[in-house]
Amino acid sequence: MAEAMRQINPDVVAAFPITPSTQIIEDFAKFVADGKVDTELITVESEHSAMSACLGASAAGGRVMTATSSNGLALMWEMLYIAASMRQPVLMTVVNRAISAPINIHCDHGDSMGARDAGWIQFYAENNQQAYDNMIMAPVIAENMEVRLPVMVCMDGFIISHSIETMQIEDDQKVRDFIGEHTALNSLLYTENPVTWGALDLHDYYIEHRRGQQEAMYKAKSVVEEVSKRFDEEFGRRYDLFESYRLDGADRVVVAINSVAGEIKEVVDELREQGEKVGLLKIRLFRPFPYAEIAQALKGCRIVTVMDRSTSMGAYGPLFSEISNAIYDAEARPLVYNRTYGLGGREMLLDDIKDVFKESKEYLNNGKVEKMFDFLNVRGG
Amino acid sequence: MNNKYRLKKWQELPPGGVITEGGNAADYETGTWRTWRPVWQEKNCIHCLTCWVFCPEGAFLLTDGKTPSGKNRKEIREIDYFYCKGCGLCVRECPVNKKGNKEAIQFVREET
Repeated sequence: MAEAMRQINPDVVAAFPITPSTQIIEDFAKFVADGKVDTELITVESEHSAMSACLGASAAGGRVMTATSSNGLALMWEMLYIAASMRQPVLMTVVNRAISAPINIHCDHGDSMGARDAGWIQFYAENNQQAYDNMIMAPVIAENMEVRLPVMVCMDGFIISHSIETMQIEDDQKVRDFIGEHTALNSLLYTENPVTWGALDLHDYYIEHRRGQQEAMYKAKSVVEEVSKRFDEEFGRRYDLFESYRLDGADRVVVAINSVAGEIKEVVDELREQGEKVGLLKIRLFRPFPYAEIAQALKGCRIVTVMDRSTSMGAYGPLFSEISNAIYDAEARPLVYNRTYGLGGREMLLDDIKDVFKESKEYLNNGKVEKMFDFLNVRGG
Repeated sequence: MNNKYRLKKWQELPPGGVITEGGNAADYETGTWRTWRPVWQEKNCIHCLTCWVFCPEGAFLLTDGKTPSGKNRKEIREIDYFYCKGCGLCVRECPVNKKGNKEAIQFVREET
């Protein structure tokens, strides 16, 4: 991710270190010290300040980036909403980590899932390559004049962020040509045409501004499609709004996010060899959520297991809610149920995933879901 | 009502609630905020314009007039209730009111 940031060469980076995203900013700080980027690096005293500085620098007309994890993201909360509502195309890597308490440094998606309503475009990635690719596309999407929204590029803490993988880093110039120049909109520093940011907005206008923001999110979906297509033409890696892995003719489908998808693919391949009709739908774009496209992709399948790596206490998992919304209107609606796994970095092994498919087979044979919601791999059942 | 004042549709707004033009507070009706209404009493007014100076909304409208000895001066004409938000600064600062035996600006409860 630091490499992607180096290639993007933002005007300003304001960040505060937090495991496991620290390494990104550490590496990037070295690029700054070595003169490999033109970036002004602001070492702030907290994440709240980090996002505040990003917001100000973006309103001033710069291309701005940061990175954080877990409680760091939580401390940015107020500014996350403001960055989105002020329509600042700030770019942020979120290295997913469980939120305290108890304190834990390992992966789950509780941090970014909690921020899903903040108004940021959210990308998720299975591995380092996809995280890098998402980040290269992020500024093009965020800065599109019809979008102008901040983008969060999420990847799994440690499992991905601290693993060594073979990947393709593209040529600097090609990346910069792909991204293009940053265009400021109503810059604070443009004194010829002074503007007011952050004015009071009461019952007579607030909802109109929100309506416009929602429209930008709707537009973002097609912009993501366009930019992903252009990325494929330029760099030869194809991305859709989500990944359909062996969904053709699949009866039993698992829907999941991020690194666990790699393991699920492994199991899907194995079960497919044994003649079982299984598949995986892996989320890439979570906000805006592609409801209609996902409903179309799940057409014909008979049972869907939605795997959430975060909890919404007292409710189903965030991904489950979206998936069941998406398929509610389907003609032949599949059975659907929710499993929570991997909180705080709890391992999910191949055998565990085989168990998931075994259970979905049982449910399908019985024609009903016995347990709508459950935790996987938790002692005490 | 000011004819200029029309609430815009969401499609007409610049992204992020940014205000791109100066002086557009003139488009904004703050009169709806009022719970107390200042009522100007012309017969008691000495046209010192203290209220006009203090009014944060510029709600005191002026007209050309003459002093008793015939010199040109600006005089209070009326209060623009489209802008007057009922803060009461004029009522408090009015030197006639301060003297205490009569009122040039009365403060009355807004009828709802």
